[in-house]
Amino acid sequence: MHKKNKLYNWRALLYSTIWFKDAPEDVSLDGYRIDNVIHYTDFVISIYFGIVIAALAYFIYRYRSTRGHKAVYDHGDSKHSVMFTGGLGLMVFLSVDVVIEKKAFQDLKDAFWNFPKGENVIRIEIMPQQFAWNFRYPGPDREFGTDDDIIPAQNQMHIPVNTPIVVQIASWDVIHSFYLPNFRIKQDATPGMITALWWQATKTGVFDIACAELCGNSHYKMKGYLTVETDEEFRQWLTENSPEESTDDEWDDWGDDDEDDTGVPEKWGWTWKELK
Amino acid sequence: MMSTHQETFISKYVFSTDHKMIAKQFMWLGLFFLFFGGAMAMLIRWQLAYPEQTVPWWLFGFLFENDGGIISPDIYNQLFTMHGTIMIFWAITPLLIGAFGNFVIPLQIGAPDMAFPKLNMFSFWTMLLASIVLLSSYCLPTGTASGGWTSYPPLSSPAGGIPGLGQTIWTLALILMGTATMMGAINYITTVVRLRAPGMGYFKMPLSIWGFFLTSILNAVFVPVIAAGLIMLLLDQTIGTEFFLAGRLASGEPGDPLLFQHVFWIFGHPEVYILILPVWGIVSDLLSVFSRKPAYGYRVTAIAMCTIAALSTLVWGHHMYTTGMSPLLGKSFMFLTLLISIPSAMFFLNWLATLWKGSIHFDPPMLFAMGVIWVFGLGGLTGLYNATVTADIYLHDTMFVVGHFHYTLAASVMFGSFAAIYFWFPRMFGKILHPKLGKIHFWGTFITLNFVFFNMMVLGYAGHHRRIYNPLEYDFLTPLAGMNEWITIFAFILGDFQLLFLFNIIWTIWKSKPSKKNPWQAATLEWTMDYPIPHGNFEEVPLVYHGPHEYSCPNIKDRDWLGQNEQITI
Repeated sequence: MHKKNKLYNWRALLYSTIWFKDAPEDVSLDGYRIDNVIHYTDFVISIYFGIVIAALAYFIYRYRSTRGHKAVYDHGDSKHSVMFTGGLGLMVFLSVDVVIEKKAFQDLKDAFWNFPKGENVIRIEIMPQQFAWNFRYPGPDREFGTDDDIIPAQNQMHIPVNTPIVVQIASWDVIHSFYLPNFRIKQDATPGMITALWWQATKTGVFDIACAELCGNSHYKMKGYLTVETDEEFRQWLTENSPEESTDDEWDDWGDDDEDDTGVPEKWGWTWKELK
Repeated sequence: MMSTHQETFISKYVFSTDHKMIAKQFMWLGLFFLFFGGAMAMLIRWQLAYPEQTVPWWLFGFLFENDGGIISPDIYNQLFTMHGTIMIFWAITPLLIGAFGNFVIPLQIGAPDMAFPKLNMFSFWTMLLASIVLLSSYCLPTGTASGGWTSYPPLSSPAGGIPGLGQTIWTLALILMGTATMMGAINYITTVVRLRAPGMGYFKMPLSIWGFFLTSILNAVFVPVIAAGLIMLLLDQTIGTEFFLAGRLASGEPGDPLLFQHVFWIFGHPEVYILILPVWGIVSDLLSVFSRKPAYGYRVTAIAMCTIAALSTLVWGHHMYTTGMSPLLGKSFMFLTLLISIPSAMFFLNWLATLWKGSIHFDPPMLFAMGVIWVFGLGGLTGLYNATVTADIYLHDTMFVVGHFHYTLAASVMFGSFAAIYFWFPRMFGKILHPKLGKIHFWGTFITLNFVFFNMMVLGYAGHHRRIYNPLEYDFLTPLAGMNEWITIFAFILGDFQLLFLFNIIWTIWKSKPSKKNPWQAATLEWTMDYPIPHGNFEEVPLVYHGPHEYSCPNIKDRDWLGQNEQITI
């Protein structure tokens, strides 16, 4: 359900000129909400900024100093003037800030902070490290921390289209930020704490995953690929990446000590933390 | 009041306790770092427009010979880290607060000097020591700090992967710089509270003084917070504590990386207002002087500035929406942030109303003051996107944020500083900066900086994230390459216009004729004495009878202004 807000799409006209660039293609269920609130803000601040600049230009022209022209002696401290500026300040607050705030709170309640629950939700654990993305899927038992967990190659994330995806993120070393430009979302990954994010893709394809928080010299190359595919393709991919044989190692939060050469233990991860 | 003691060269120019000389020392320090930080900005722009191409000679290409003539990723990270650090703490702060706070406060309130002249001197010398410590980090084989000006741990800790001592020296330099700032803040507050001339009530102070006063209060309250955070960071970096370490990098009980972010932004958001409040004050005064009209709604402007200073302490969380903070906190911070638009709108209206029915003179200080209406208007309004939790999920850590804070900090604060330099230059050096060059400087800066910073915001909207060495790594950023190149070209032109400004300063001091005592016909106390202003400022304690903006009063016949110390009833 893409509800593009027509009223404020005059901006698209501006983009067609050479300077203006549109945001990357939105392929998410709720990205339009962010675009809409941005476009509404564009719209209202253009009006207010336009008024300020028009007044400034007019005053500069009309009240420029010329011979014989004397300024009016007015301190603007009458009750009337104070009511006027106060009233206009309040008007700006009510027409701009309150509207934006209402929209944003509604969107948070309906979408971004309204984590989906249920059988069809795909859950994934993400653990970035300097400078790569690690992903972990629960195996057929739908539990994290068991031997059938699926860990695909680094920087490769696959999700099915039109299915809610809930991820939990924690960093292995420094702070990173999981950023999906085509889905209008990002979430910091901090060592020692688990953060969560959810989204739903509406279109198949391969999209960029970027790190948005400075994490070191190769921060700019910390790039992953999000492949959105049909449910069958996704199941197929999961099967291909399933661990071949189970090992008898005990599960432990943050894994065991068998480190590979990147320092990340083979069995990194944590038991899924249920959100309130 | 006149000081009669003999002055040697050392006591007059080096270890001076005269606030006017210390102001000049801060000004040269600030200007040096302004051009230093500006040169780094040019290199950053070079890399973003022409990634991994040989740096030309006119951008100091010889510095990069060891890396094959190109900027390497670690050098790039050092460039933007030091650009941010230097511009905020070593360019704007000394220039605006150190130089003009020092110069203007005693003169405008009718005081012989700062309350603590020796503390004032120590403040400068501590700042100079901080500068030397900071610059010494460039001599390290591994280079200077590269963890961003925010220096978030664990990245900025030794375990975070940044080699060498650069990050530690950065922390040390900032602690020293904070010490200098605290000395200044205590001094400014005491001076304003204790040393106002008889008759100079709080609501007769020029709005510039209100700006410096509020800034000093915020500095006195919040610099200790960041200093505490930085000392903890320094301990993490040197003796192996783990206040801010967690995950793999913590060897024992985990610390909390988020704690540093909270401490940083509890200071960091007021810091924005620390830098902008003096600008608001100066702009309010200058609009009045050059419109020959009293500042409209003086009390409302002053109270609005106080309100914003208070609100600025409650909004730091809007820098941290994407850290996974609780929804309740996110909403509260958004609401508190948006509240700031009420007082902001009020003093904005007062600025416009000051021009309304005025008699506007377009001297360079006025051009820069009116320029602030434009650039701060845009900078303030675009803050709405970042204050909005949902929009910020997308725009956080993108070039949009970079464009936004360059409008508020770089553009607005620089314009305010330039306006101050053009306006008070006759008081500092007895000469007027060349007005034609000043106008060219204004228009050149105004046009190019809008091009640069506005298009940064457009880049951010197009998804371009911050602090990336080579944007061409990402497919979704390749269509933006042309735009990055245009921004860079305009940034270079912007830089050239600043060289013109530097030329104007040097040429004026060297060649120009002395100016009149009060060339702008301003009503405040700093214009009442002859140049050079002696140590001790006022021959007699001035008595204050009027507010700071008595322009075009119909009862005064032969001129259109009335000095604050003139005993004439109106």
